Amino acid sequence: MSISLALFSPPTQPPLLFPSSPSTKPHLTLKPHLSLRPSKFLTTTKASAENGAGTSPTAATALEIQPDQKVAETPQQVVKKDESSVGVNGSAGAVETEEDKVLSQFVDPKWVVGTWDLSQFQKDGSTDWDAVIDAEARRRKWLEGNPETSSNDAPIVFDTSIIPWWAWIKRFHLPEAELLNGRAAMIGFFMAYLVDSLTGVGLVDQMGNFFCKTLLFVAVVGVLLIRKNEDLENLKKLLDETTFYDKQWQATWQDEKPGSSKN
Amino acid sequence: MASIALKSFVGLRQQVSTEKSHYFFTSQSQTKPPRKLKLQVLASKSSPRLTNRNLRVAVIGGGPAGGAAAETLAKGGIETYLIERKMDNCKPCGGAIPLCMVGEFDLPLDIIDRRVTKMKMISPSNVAVDIGQTLKPHEYIGMVRREVLDAYLRERAKDNGAEVINGLFLKMDVPKDGVSPYVLHYNGFDGKVGGVGEKRTLEVDAVIGADGANSRVAKAIDAGDYDYAIAFQERIKIPDDKMAYYEDLAEMYVGDDVSPDFYGWVFPKCDHVAVGTGTVTHKGDIKKFQLATRKRAKDKILGGKIIRVEAHPIPEHPRPRRLLGRVALVGDAAGYVTKCSGEGIYFAAKSGRMCAEAIVEGSENGKRMVDERDLRKYLEKWDKTYWPTYKVLDVLQKVFYRSNPAREAFVEMCADEYVQKMTFDSYLYKTVAPGNPLQDLKLAVNTIGSLVRANALKKEMDKLSV
Repeated sequence: MSISLALFSPPTQPPLLFPSSPSTKPHLTLKPHLSLRPSKFLTTTKASAENGAGTSPTAATALEIQPDQKVAETPQQVVKKDESSVGVNGSAGAVETEEDKVLSQFVDPKWVVGTWDLSQFQKDGSTDWDAVIDAEARRRKWLEGNPETSSNDAPIVFDTSIIPWWAWIKRFHLPEAELLNGRAAMIGFFMAYLVDSLTGVGLVDQMGNFFCKTLLFVAVVGVLLIRKNEDLENLKKLLDETTFYDKQWQATWQDEKPGSSKN
Repeated sequence: MASIALKSFVGLRQQVSTEKSHYFFTSQSQTKPPRKLKLQVLASKSSPRLTNRNLRVAVIGGGPAGGAAAETLAKGGIETYLIERKMDNCKPCGGAIPLCMVGEFDLPLDIIDRRVTKMKMISPSNVAVDIGQTLKPHEYIGMVRREVLDAYLRERAKDNGAEVINGLFLKMDVPKDGVSPYVLHYNGFDGKVGGVGEKRTLEVDAVIGADGANSRVAKAIDAGDYDYAIAFQERIKIPDDKMAYYEDLAEMYVGDDVSPDFYGWVFPKCDHVAVGTGTVTHKGDIKKFQLATRKRAKDKILGGKIIRVEAHPIPEHPRPRRLLGRVALVGDAAGYVTKCSGEGIYFAAKSGRMCAEAIVEGSENGKRMVDERDLRKYLEKWDKTYWPTYKVLDVLQKVFYRSNPAREAFVEMCADEYVQKMTFDSYLYKTVAPGNPLQDLKLAVNTIGSLVRANALKKEMDKLSV
């Protein structure tokens, strides 16, 4: 443990953080061009990763006409370099260049001062929320690959809760709703039939019965939670996970009997 | 032995039948008392009184747990030895203490370097939320330097009569019975600079292991291992104009890039900031996470100079055994670090004190011998008092550090004033105050809403890659 930790802390760590204001400017000038970047960027990195480290410098030079892509691509290579050198000496030179060059930022004409400009999402006089959801998904996807520095000057103010609930329902629930409703209805009918045949309580009377209400609730929750067969397995895993910490704590007390008899 | 002697005596008397029953009776009475004792709860009353001396207890490790334990022991009239390897040890540590610790441990205000009143949580998509708007003017999170806090607590233990030994604990000999002393072997450094020190031994009646994550006391009682997270931290001296921003503000970054199961932080220290991150599951990638944390905070720490790099293990759960015979573990050695927030100083100091209190009480201020049952009282009390806190934080970590969408929802949730009030109250005062049921319900609905939205977006993101 201590040995591996010692490796992490190189004795002489030169300053790693350099001002990188110059690189902000190209982005601003290239704004219109950059709107297509997310998808393009993904494809280029994939290619360079396949090529391997040996060929990627040439790839970078070939792409020199599009400076934004080059900037975006270099950090990938440098990170690789850095990781390999960390084991030896924690080389700071690599980190430096990496810190220096990366100032990738998500740019999109519809993304204005930290939020989606809803006026640009108008369709037939109303906001096209589907498009907003698409845009936000694209932005988050891009951020996952290129985490960007948080800034106090340009805070992100977009909040997913501004998209009304019905837009979410329409988009994510409706395709599944038919199936779920149908399933719930079938199960409900069958249960009602079963209870009726077993107890002789009719459908109308069942509604007033606490037990039957509980059964109804269980059926609805069950339909919602278990949509596929794997869900059952997942739920089981979840249960294990929630009790795992309890077990770790309880270990002391299981030990009690042998412990005290030894004493 | 006694039964054999009795038998020969019986033989001499030649009263076989009656004496035989007598023999049975005596042998029974020999085995029975300890048995009965074991079932009884009152311990100290039955344990032997000490003559000519007080109970001797050694505390291994001079961190917050050791310092607090030694102070309480010494105050309780127990002969206390505190063994610490390095008196000016500057442990890599976030160094945040809750407000209630200042009061409970009577800490002087000048050891608190900074008073943090604002926390910023930053989500994977860089949504920043300020928490701490609900704080009252006198409320804050104290940031301390560990070397200062530890030294202060040790000094106070010394003032109360504990003997502080500068030495490296090596091993201990565990006695077979319940009264013989534990023999501790250590290298003493007193009055010497450098060198290996001289081998010395110390006889004590009980041991408190407060020697951190790589505890040797735990090894000696075969306490088992725990999973640990590795925390990596760089202390960065940043320009004054940037430092002004961190005057009373700490930042937490969450996201898969920063840590798959914990958070990255920027904490203000006396004249610099500590930038770090931690993980349990991907320890090999810690350097990458650190880079990512630095990158996320880049705008605010631009032009900084790294003055120190440090890493340390953080326990994830208590050891399988925290107690054996007259040896008890406290603090990090026992594994008392919360999940989610990774807080440990307060719990270490508190557990040290609680354990010491149990010993003082069980020994009737050092007059009697203690045994395992006395120490068990500390465990019982500890688990009863703090188990809910640990569990809640574990659930929070499992729900909200699970994935990027969950983290987005977490940050959205933290924007709510009610949440901020509840979390700060429970953090600062370590009591879980019952909330307003209507507010709770609203919170639950909102949280589920946030989770559903974030996960729906995630689904959409997955579609994009294909």
